Amino acid sequence: MAGDVDSIPELDQKKYDADEQVKIICLGDSAVGKSKLMERFLMDEYRPQQLSTYALTLYKHTASVGNKTVLVDFWDTAGQERFQSMHPSYYHKAHACIMVFDVQRKITYKNLATWYKELREFRPEIPCCVVANKIDADLKVTQRSFNFGKKQGLPLYYVSAADGTNVVKMFRDMIKRAVEYKQNPSDFMDEVMQELENFDLEKKEENSEPDEDGLKAESPELD
Amino acid sequence: MSFEAKRCGVQFSPPSIVLIYQHRDTKKVRKRIIPVRNFFKHSDCSRAAEKLKNNPRHRDYLDSVTCSQLEKLHVILQDQMKGLSLEHSLASFHLDPEEDLNKLDDQELNRKKGQMDELFEKNRRHKDDPDFVYDLEMDFTKTMQDKCSWDEESDDGF
Repeated sequence: MAGDVDSIPELDQKKYDADEQVKIICLGDSAVGKSKLMERFLMDEYRPQQLSTYALTLYKHTASVGNKTVLVDFWDTAGQERFQSMHPSYYHKAHACIMVFDVQRKITYKNLATWYKELREFRPEIPCCVVANKIDADLKVTQRSFNFGKKQGLPLYYVSAADGTNVVKMFRDMIKRAVEYKQNPSDFMDEVMQELENFDLEKKEENSEPDEDGLKAESPELD
Repeated sequence: MSFEAKRCGVQFSPPSIVLIYQHRDTKKVRKRIIPVRNFFKHSDCSRAAEKLKNNPRHRDYLDSVTCSQLEKLHVILQDQMKGLSLEHSLASFHLDPEEDLNKLDDQELNRKKGQMDELFEKNRRHKDDPDFVYDLEMDFTKTMQDKCSWDEESDDGF
């Protein structure tokens, strides 16, 4: 298939259909510490791949879940959050979502509602968590209950990318949940998509014209 | 010979970084004016700061001055070259917890991030630290939890 996004191997999202691959996305406002969390979790493995055309950063990670090896792609926003909205392909085929806010800035907490709403438009059922970052700035915040997560039935993690508190635990939990979700997807949309893709395959082969912004070609839209 | 930086600042004309430092042995306090060369309106401030920090003629004096502080001084010098006021430069470093940082452009955002990085670096545990634990876990769910005032104005979802 010449000419479509397959020419950018990083963005070939079909690979996320393979059993041993999961895609985990990060959401949250500018400067809440999303990249710093990735860096703390990955340590020496930390090799961000900047795809600046798409305002996107990818991190690859190999994890063990049970006795299986899982390849994890973390998707980070690289400034796309500025538009208060992400491109649909960002959500496409994601298996879990990490939503981050900064405990020192109320607005980043309030904006979780917007991020969560958009996430659920595209991925109604994938596992998601709320991360309260920068607790090292003032440990007292851990005595406060941030109700947003609770109301939506999402686990809340108090973390610090600086001193490392609960960072690894949070990521390991989310990788595990992503794998579980993948093995047993409850998203009706996933099944519909699967059906549509199988159905569309032949048609797609014929008219695989490069889309204007490339990314879109991978995400069939359902109106 | 070793020196301890006491204060630093800028001088606009000619663009220079001013350093007040003390000789560790003699305890004498001196002033050093470091002219900033080959630095223009569109130069990269962080690279310029790093270059200055490693400059063989100045590095001993700048030993206790952090790269981020030198970068900040370069930003102030550059703002002045662009015709911006000192007040503007200083305000751009100020962190306002109510400000929506999503609305800033890259450069403005980086200034705020630079400020946040100071606290980050201060609290940071490096993997070479003797007491470093990779998987550091703390359970906060058992502590008494107060209601969070951020939840009070109950708009949708909070």
